[in-house]
Amino acid sequence: MTAATSGLPSILGPIRPRPRGRETKLLAVVAITILAGSVSLELAPRVADPGVSQGLSLANPLHIAVYLGLIGLAHLVLILSGRRMDQVLLPATAMLGGVSLLLMERLPQTLVSQAVGPWKLGLGDVQLAWLILSFSLATALAVTVRSDRWLRLYKYTWAAAGVALLVATYFLGDEINGQRLSLSLGPISGQPAELLKVILVVFLAGYLSEYRPLLVEESTKVGPISLPPLPFLAPMAAMWAIALGLVIVQRDLGAALLFFTVFLFMLYAATGRPGYVIVGVILFLAGSFVMYRLVGTVQTRVDIWIDPFKSPTGDGYQIVQSLYAFARGGLIGTGLGAGLPTVGGNLPIPAVHTDFPLAALGEELGLVGVMAILGLFLVVVERGLRIAASAADDFRALLAAGLALVIGTQAFIIAAGNLKLIPLTGITLPFISYGGSSLLVNGIIVGLLLALSDRGVEPPPPPKPRSRLTRLTGRVTRLATPDAGRPAGRT
Amino acid sequence: MDPFLLTVWVVRLLFLGLLYLFLFRIAKALVGDLRAAAREPGAELGRLVVVQSPAGEPEEGTSLALDAIATIGRDVNNAIVVEDMFASAEHAILTFRGRAWYIEDLGSTNGTFVNGSPVEGVSPLGFGDVIQVGQVRLRLERPRADRSRR
Repeated sequence: MTAATSGLPSILGPIRPRPRGRETKLLAVVAITILAGSVSLELAPRVADPGVSQGLSLANPLHIAVYLGLIGLAHLVLILSGRRMDQVLLPATAMLGGVSLLLMERLPQTLVSQAVGPWKLGLGDVQLAWLILSFSLATALAVTVRSDRWLRLYKYTWAAAGVALLVATYFLGDEINGQRLSLSLGPISGQPAELLKVILVVFLAGYLSEYRPLLVEESTKVGPISLPPLPFLAPMAAMWAIALGLVIVQRDLGAALLFFTVFLFMLYAATGRPGYVIVGVILFLAGSFVMYRLVGTVQTRVDIWIDPFKSPTGDGYQIVQSLYAFARGGLIGTGLGAGLPTVGGNLPIPAVHTDFPLAALGEELGLVGVMAILGLFLVVVERGLRIAASAADDFRALLAAGLALVIGTQAFIIAAGNLKLIPLTGITLPFISYGGSSLLVNGIIVGLLLALSDRGVEPPPPPKPRSRLTRLTGRVTRLATPDAGRPAGRT
Repeated sequence: MDPFLLTVWVVRLLFLGLLYLFLFRIAKALVGDLRAAAREPGAELGRLVVVQSPAGEPEEGTSLALDAIATIGRDVNNAIVVEDMFASAEHAILTFRGRAWYIEDLGSTNGTFVNGSPVEGVSPLGFGDVIQVGQVRLRLERPRADRSRR
């Protein structure tokens, strides 16, 4: 093997670099943009204080250099891997990560403080560390994942692991603001709901691709509406129950909304039947109404959504401040580093680095900047759907579509929450919010999407014989046996 | 105007402008992809990949584009001819109806199997399913939407 001579592990195989011209060009634009943003960030505070030097310089040049170097390295590794992978995903996510880094450099560094050995790390330092880990993970997955067997064959194992994570969070999780969302394991702590969204997509892709032909075909007619086959409504009911359980037990509205929406998207992608979506939306509305009546958190969230100005200093405080921030930003914003006046030494929006980064960007980059950020998310979703459209089989198609839609849906839910378009739910803005779990999981998603975009991967394994549910519908009646396909005699 | 203030403004607008330049370049690439996909003749509905073929006709690994109706059998008039002594002359038919593929056995001697289960009547197929006709095994794959992407 040539791999042995090159010094790389043999699983990577021989090195045959493949140029990625489009990616190189796009990454060059990313680098220039982030450098310009950094200069802009550095200049802004000097406008009010003209005493200091007026030359151009970068804000925290070390961080920017490390980040751009990291992206360049990821690009180089992808070239060396020689796989035919998508060339737009990495630049688009690198741009989002760069905007995130600029924003975290700009916010007060005291929002997060972690001491690692002799160093005291602030918000920007920690975010840079997570970005490094996230993009390293994405690159590693993109290069090494050559088969989807480990995802495809063990979908129920993955689902069980997901449920176990949920249960563990409930019993062992740390309670913050009345929500049990994070789980600590020794020195490592994280938010399992973030990882759960990937597990959910893997499970749904496996389940839906296995039963897709039956889901598409069978239907039950109630009046003019053609409903999906009743036995297959069971997963929908289960999914609905899990979403409601999340709301009741963990008070995690964001994750519940995200999971259910992604489920409906994937169901529609697998079947192309609007009937499913209608049933799902009706279930969702009914569930929401009951939750509104029963759960205090939901009621508060909906009430401050309908009229945040009823209690502008109480429950509605963050939303009101967020709206003010967007209003101050106007069309082109105040400029990076020139917005976000402090109120008594504090930021007006306490959770600006986790739940409200879009409000900060809205103030400093204005409508124009926010539209560009949303455009970047749109690009990520488009790439995912394109990868899905050219996938070899249903599992890969649904996996790619689901992973991309998770990012798109999550970005929509939190962006719309910040803008008071829908009730606010506390989830992160992918790639931009501060947070280790969120960035790592988004890295996993990008890595898997890149790996799936290579059509040269191992062909899909032979599907398992249909059993149980197939017989339920009476379509294929005989029990499937492994050697039933052997020919019986000559023609 | 103060040259320093002017610089600040220029850099601010430059940053926003570059964000849009980036989006514009991506959009250009996407439009190029779509044009290339649209130029491809005859949008296919699916393809069959030969997984196993003891007699070598069709050859293993061959990928066959499918029309909405494709018959499989030993007779040369079939859309997909399988040279296999356990296959019938007119063995099975694949049809694309609306949203999905269906397979029907045409009264073959040895039957048609999907993922190891015998086909009875018209039976739905999913992409990734493996059809067995005689000793020949074929996997139904999604159509190749665009080959120009990379």
